[in-house]
Amino acid sequence: MMFSGDGFLTDKTSTNTNQSQTHVFTSFPNSAMDPDDERFGNQSMNSNNVERNLLPLPATANEEKSEQLHVWQIEYYQKYFQIDTQQVLERLVGSVTPRPNKSYFESTIRQNPDLYGPFWVCVTFILTVAISGNIVNYFHLPDVEFQIDFSRITLSAILVCLYWWLMPTFIYFFFRWHLNRIEYTFLELLCIYGYSLTIFIPVSILWIIPINWLQWTLTLIASLISGSVLVVTFWPTINSDYKRFSAVSMLVVLLAHLLMAICIMFVFFHISDNNFKPKVETTTILTTIRSSSPLSSTTTTTTKG
Amino acid sequence: MDTSMEQDQVPFLSSSSHGIDMIEGEMSSSSNRTNQNGLSTLDEPVIDTIKRDLGAVFRKFGYAVIPRHSSTLLQQWDLWGPLILVTTLAILLQSSATKSSTGVQFAEVFTLMLIGSIAVTVNSQLLGGKISFFQSVCVLGYCLLPLLLSAFINNILLYIPTKSTIPILHIIRFLIVMTAFAWTMYASVRFLGQTQHPNRRMLVLYPIFLFYFLIAWLIILHAHPK
Repeated sequence: MMFSGDGFLTDKTSTNTNQSQTHVFTSFPNSAMDPDDERFGNQSMNSNNVERNLLPLPATANEEKSEQLHVWQIEYYQKYFQIDTQQVLERLVGSVTPRPNKSYFESTIRQNPDLYGPFWVCVTFILTVAISGNIVNYFHLPDVEFQIDFSRITLSAILVCLYWWLMPTFIYFFFRWHLNRIEYTFLELLCIYGYSLTIFIPVSILWIIPINWLQWTLTLIASLISGSVLVVTFWPTINSDYKRFSAVSMLVVLLAHLLMAICIMFVFFHISDNNFKPKVETTTILTTIRSSSPLSSTTTTTTKG
Repeated sequence: MDTSMEQDQVPFLSSSSHGIDMIEGEMSSSSNRTNQNGLSTLDEPVIDTIKRDLGAVFRKFGYAVIPRHSSTLLQQWDLWGPLILVTTLAILLQSSATKSSTGVQFAEVFTLMLIGSIAVTVNSQLLGGKISFFQSVCVLGYCLLPLLLSAFINNILLYIPTKSTIPILHIIRFLIVMTAFAWTMYASVRFLGQTQHPNRRMLVLYPIFLFYFLIAWLIILHAHPK
């Protein structure tokens, strides 16, 4: 008895003409891979994953070859991109809302760290900083002098990527050698730090507004919010032992975050009040002052800070 | 390769006592395409080849500008269109250096677009899309045509001198480029959006949005041609 194509049992003798065959293969698995070993592929696309059978390997385990896939195949890296739109949105929202009791990391990232979110958040941040910096120049310089400064893209790219990679490296080695535990894998740390830059994207657009106190306020608020999310994420681990490290290390994390924000603000956006004169008003100011007194016109020449 | 044995030759399977077994046949390659005249495409006049290929390129431009359901763009991809568009756009966006900053150079724009296309395509593949690398680069390149047209119009508008304090020309240029950007996005969403699982469609479309947005801003901020 064997199953025919539409699932009904049929008598074997009606389909089997060759008497010497003892059994008939009716279905073959797609690959020689044991289904228990199947970790990659599209099986998880339709469900929000809560449990996966991925062990938390550090990202430096790329050098090990898995059974089927190799480092130079693009399918090998698909395991870092197993994520749906809904999950990305949840993580983005979670990275800007600090909740003291609940770490969004535990609820969303821990089971399935991905590289899509951090990478594209960083790229967006780099682009908005570069474009906004150019817009600030556009309004600041007179019309004949403005050119797109392409080196700004490379500068902002270097700054942001360095921050995104160096901080997780420090924290990973700190955990590994000082505390002798691997609590967070390198991939999860990259994920946390990548998503923590989310809040700076709208802030970098608001940084165009050339009001000094507004820029400083935005910097402080943004770095406080995302810094507190970072602190909430790391606090349970740090606090469990080595108490003298806990406050200091959290402070270091916060300060590094603030420092990054201040650096970006200064390099691209900061125009202190006494230097700034919009170009439309420059001509009127100069003409009125020149007509009144030739000496004081020197005080209104703009100096680039 | 078709081989046919001549009828009057000694068949191969006959007895070997003849001593000579010859096989003759005709070899005609079926891999050469033939046009309607029955000539192989290697033999046709050059003007026919050029006309056919140019026709294919222009037809694809048409599909990219007025998006309609057609598989031509995806299945018969070619890179001529993207090459022409990216080169022309890079030439248009050149600007001279001033003392405060270096302007945009040809190589920078070209490299930016190349890296952008590669990044978008690799992202789409990593998320499990069913599109190949060159198909995606082809679609991204062909859909650039509206932005190129807006860059042309911008360059022409830059030569109009204006003395008014209301930046009306800036606003017009901004609106034109944004319209072209929306058109480009719509066209590429029509083509690339359906190659991806619906749960991940936004994840794939967002980098495309960034890529075209960056190009649109380069066009808007381009103030002074060389």
